[in-house]
This record gives sequence, C-alpha cells and structure tokens, in this order.
Amino acid sequence: MPLAFLLAIPLAGAAAVFFARRRFVLELVYGTGAGAALLSSVFLAAQVLSGGPVSFFNGFLYADALSALVTLLTCLVWALSAPYTVGYLRGPQPSAGESPAQLGIRDLRLYYTLSLLFVFTLLAVSLTGNLGLMWVALEGATLASVFLVAFYGKPTSLEAAWKYAIIGGVGLSMALFGTILTYYAAHEATGMETWEALNWPFLLAASPQFNPLVMRLAFVLVLLGYGAKAGLAPMHTWKPDAYSEAPVPAAAMMATAMLNCALYGLGRFFLLSARATGAAMPSQLLVLFGILSIAVAMPFILVQRSFRRLLAYSSIDHCGIIALSLGFGGPLGSLGAVLHMSFHALAKPLLFFCAGNAQQHAGDDSLRNTAGGLIRVLPMSGAALFAAVLAVTGTPPFPLFLSEFTVLRAGFAQGYGWVSIIAVALFVLIFSGMFAHVSRLLLGPAPDLPAGDRNRWTVYPLLPLAALLLLFSFWMPAPLSSLLAQSAALLEVKP
Amino acid sequence: MPFLNDPLFGQTMITLMAAVVLVLQITLVAQKSLVASIYVFAVQSFLLAGIAGTIAWFTGAGHLYLAALITLLLKSVLLPAILLRLVERIGIEHEMRPLLNVPVSVLISGMLSLLAYVVAEPLQHGLSYGGPAALGHNTLPVAVALFLIGFFLMANRRKALSQVLALLSLENGLFLAAISLTYGMPLIVELGVFFDALVAVLVLAILVGRIREAFDSMDVTRLSRLRG
Repeated sequence: MPLAFLLAIPLAGAAAVFFARRRFVLELVYGTGAGAALLSSVFLAAQVLSGGPVSFFNGFLYADALSALVTLLTCLVWALSAPYTVGYLRGPQPSAGESPAQLGIRDLRLYYTLSLLFVFTLLAVSLTGNLGLMWVALEGATLASVFLVAFYGKPTSLEAAWKYAIIGGVGLSMALFGTILTYYAAHEATGMETWEALNWPFLLAASPQFNPLVMRLAFVLVLLGYGAKAGLAPMHTWKPDAYSEAPVPAAAMMATAMLNCALYGLGRFFLLSARATGAAMPSQLLVLFGILSIAVAMPFILVQRSFRRLLAYSSIDHCGIIALSLGFGGPLGSLGAVLHMSFHALAKPLLFFCAGNAQQHAGDDSLRNTAGGLIRVLPMSGAALFAAVLAVTGTPPFPLFLSEFTVLRAGFAQGYGWVSIIAVALFVLIFSGMFAHVSRLLLGPAPDLPAGDRNRWTVYPLLPLAALLLLFSFWMPAPLSSLLAQSAALLEVKP
Repeated sequence: MPFLNDPLFGQTMITLMAAVVLVLQITLVAQKSLVASIYVFAVQSFLLAGIAGTIAWFTGAGHLYLAALITLLLKSVLLPAILLRLVERIGIEHEMRPLLNVPVSVLISGMLSLLAYVVAEPLQHGLSYGGPAALGHNTLPVAVALFLIGFFLMANRRKALSQVLALLSLENGLFLAAISLTYGMPLIVELGVFFDALVAVLVLAILVGRIREAFDSMDVTRLSRLRG
C-alpha cells in the first residue's frame, strides 16, 4: 500500500532522527527517506494512472490523479532539496549572536526532526480523503513550520514566526468554520452522521444538493483561510518575513510544497461550492483574489531590497496566478493551474538554493549592500540563478512560459479579457523588476570576495533541478502529461 | 427527577449557558488583567462542555459525551493551567493595555453580536425548532458572535499571550457552531482538532517565552523590524 507507506516514511524518519546521535545518521535518514518517498509517490502515481483512484481504510486515505500529482510534487521537492539541505546546514549559519556559526548536533537534530514532521503533515494533506482531516493536517503543517521559521532564534526570526503563527492560526480557524459548514450542508442534504460524510468522493457526488447559502459562506471562509496559508493577498503579510527568516531549504519547502497543499485544499472546496451554488460566485472570488495578489506583489518586487523577500513576493505572485487560473475555469483554466503548480515547484527551489549559496558566500542577503559581480566568484550558482529567474518570470523556452500562456488563454476564452490584459501588464513589470535586481546582483566587476562554489553539496543539487526545468521546456514524458491532464480534468467544474 | 428528561428543561439550560458564554466573551474584551482573562476563558470552556454534555444527555449522541469530556479536561483545565504557569514563570506585567479603550471595545462587541444574529439567521432557516431534535440550534448566533468577537479581540490586543487567549476563545466559537449545527464534527475530526489546539498552545507558549527572552517584552507592537 504506497498510501500508508508514504505517510510512514517521514514519520519513522522523524522518530529515528530524534534519537540519532551523529550528524551522519541524521543526513542519511533524511536523504534515504526522501528517495524512498519519491519512489513510492511515483509508484502511487502509476497505480492511479493505470487503475483509477486508490482508497485505503474506507477513504481515510485516498488518492486520485490530483492528490497523486500534489504528493509527487511534494516528494520531488523533498528529494531534490535533501542533498542541498545537507550541504547548506554544514555551512556557517546565522545565529542569535553576532557572527555566523556552525550548527551543533542538537540544532541539527531539531531541524531534521521538524522538517520530517513538516513533510509528514504535507503528505497527509494530499493523501487523506477526508476534508476534516485535511484541515487537521494543514494546521499540523503550520505548527511544525513555525519552529522552522524561528529556527535561528534571532529577534527577527521570532517576529516572523509569531506573525506566521498568528495569521496562520486565524486563517485556519476560518477554514475550520468553512469545513464545519460544509459538513453541515452534507449532513442536511444526506443525513450522514459519520466521518465518512466528509470524504471526498461522497461530498463530490452529493454536492449539487447542498444548501447554496451555506456553501457560499463556507467557500468564502475556506478561501480566506487556505488563501492565507497559500499566501493570497491580502492575507500574505507573513510570507516575506517567514521566507527570509527560515533556513533556505525549509523556506523552499514552504514556498512550493506547502503552497501547493493549501491551494489543493482550496481547489477541493472550490469544486464543492461551484457545484452547489453555480460556478459564478466562487470563480469570480478566485479571480479577484488572484489578480489582487499579483498586483500587490508587483510594487514590492520592483523596490525590494532583500533577495529572499523578493522571492517571497514572487511566490505571492505565483500563488495569485494559480488562483486566477482556477477562477478562469474551463478545461484550459484548470490545466493552467495544474501546470503552473508543477513547474513552479521546480523553479522556486532552484531560485531559493542559488539565493542561499549567494547569501552564505556574501554573508548578506541585501540587494543593495552586495557590490554585484557575484557570477564571477560563484560561476555555477550565478548561472543557475540567472536561468532560474528567467524560468520563474515565465520567459520562453522555460515551462512556466507555457503554463502562464495557458492561464492567459483560459482568461480570454472564458470572457475575462480585461483581467488577462492587466495580468500581462503585471507580468511584464514583475519580469523587469526581477531581472533588474538579479542582473545588478550578478553582473559587473568582480567583488572583493574569495572564489566560491567550493561546497559540492550545495552546488551539485542545483543541476538536477535546472536539468528538469530545461527538459520540461522541450519534452514531457507521456505518463506525466496524462497525469497532468487527468488532474486538470478533476479540477474542472462540471455540472 | 422527572425534569431531567424534559427536553424543554434542556433547551432552557442550553440557552442559559450559551447566554453566559456570550457574556463571558464580552467580559474578555473588557477585562484588563491577563490572569483574570485566563480564568474567564476556563469558565467559558466549562460552560461549553456543559452545553455539549446537555445535548448529549438529551439526544443520546454518544460521541458528544467524549467531546464534552475532552473540552472539559483540555480547554477548561489543562490549557488554562499551561497559560497560568507561563504567566507565573516569565513574570509578565498583568495589565494588558488594549489598543482601543474599554467602553469603545464593549460597544464594538455589542455591534458584532448584532451582526452575528443577522449572519446566522438565514443559515438557521433549514433548522427545525421544538422537540428534542432541535436542541441547541438556537445557539448558532452565539457561536458566530464568539467567532467575530474573537477576531476583534485578536486585533485589539498587544500582548502575545492575550492574542493566544483570543485565538482560543475564537475556537470556542467554532466548537459551539459545530455542536449547534450538527451535534459536533465526526469524532475523528474532533479529536484531530483538539490535538491541534493542544499543540498550538504549546507551540505558542514556547514562542512567547522566547520572544520574552529576546525582546524583554511581550508587546507584539515591538515586533516591527521586518518591513517591506
């Protein structure tokens, strides 16, 4: 049963790591766990593709193409970031004191335990078929990641962790209210009283009979709640702080896997309420929040001074694009959302890792203080950073161009022409902002720094990410594209 | 005692307890002392457990007994105890200094309660009144009011611990909404929610302690170095 096995891997890993005494054991458990999880998620995806949805213990665990895709992405990000995590944490780390220091075994153990628990909760979000338990898992993900944000113990990290915990907590309480209302609607329509009343296949089948008024309120609450977790404006304010204070690999996980999981939950509720109330209201709300997020991110990207805050605003922008695409709807809109979720999950970690290398080498995260010319001392990370920025801003030939193009086509096809035109204008501004920042950081005369990129563990992990991005620009394996197509079909509102 | 089996008696008791729960929520808004607020929260949770227990008694919904018991143990004993110990250990100044003064805050809470009745009214349309099947259905507006006032309370507090308390009272509103709409969420979901509440308080308590050490204060308005 790959379903139960997938959840057992990070949990067993966390237990093993908690009692480990040596750094080598921690790294080994983390890395092999990631590899095993990636293999079983591929196996799960193959199983779903060939035999349809898989269910375990009455739908307690359940995977259709969409959840298999989200699970696969989570495991992929975990596996690709595991070697980088090892390398990054061996390097000098910011600390509560003045100068950067090496991490002790206690800190390392804390980090690996927390991030394994974090992965466990994220996998639970996509693998449980029960919307109530999905909420429980997302709340668990928040709690596990609060300490990852506060990991360095600096005053600024505590501030970021506090904002994150409070905004996440309030948001999730709204989402819980939405879940309660959904359960009430199901209970009222069908008389079901057991926990199976919150199981996905049952809810989807019964949703046309739900009370539209209740579902409307439920969707608004879930949109605000899971939207806050994904980072949709105006509930995005925790994001720049959390991403700039968390250790780089943890921030990369939050920016991709957690964002996907929150949007996955939102997508499920979107389908339910669209079937109960008609697609108009939920779609328009998603379009509104989507375009608002892109618009809010744009000025902050243009004037940003810190590189990792820049990445956070870029992630708000991408979260907005995915919500926008879901809201546009139709076959193209849902396809655009699924494609963008997948490609963003490859491009963003690459960006974070390059930023981490640059920061670790220059000892500074600021875009102003760094003299520029970093590509002369960091040839590999610098080149990868350039490619990653081109990819993440949707420049051809990178696959994010394809997904953004699909989103815009969906917008024009579904009668959201003006919104799409505004979105294009915002994309162009965001592209120029990102590009200006990165060229100032990378180009120019060589800075007064020793040659870097010496640590194999933080340089080589960039290669598979960049290679996958390039590969998907030109070629998509047939099973993967049918997984994407099936997931998109599941996200499409069909009456 | 025959009245113990009379649904009308149960309905009266539930209405009474729900009314006191709402009054306690407004007391939280008006209360300036942190320690007193924690006690108010404990009593509020105790009454919620009472509501759940009463509904369980009259409807025979077995899993509600368990929910009532867990609420009693967790929210009215364990969590307040954790919070009180935290207050004692890090010696926080007891005054809470809300952003808005007390009369204005209470006025806003009153208006939020009115709003809650307006929001909850159409939702109750499908709910039946009278008879044992309708027990507790009239508490939905109170639940929405707890939720809204909880939000206001979060925004109106500077101290980290009082924000935690506001979050918890907001969750009490959710619990009341769940029992008034559907006699509680399914048990396994309910257990998950309780577990998360417990972990959340532990996480926030640790964080409060560390913020206190790093900033020598719990005033969250001082957490303002990250901008832009």
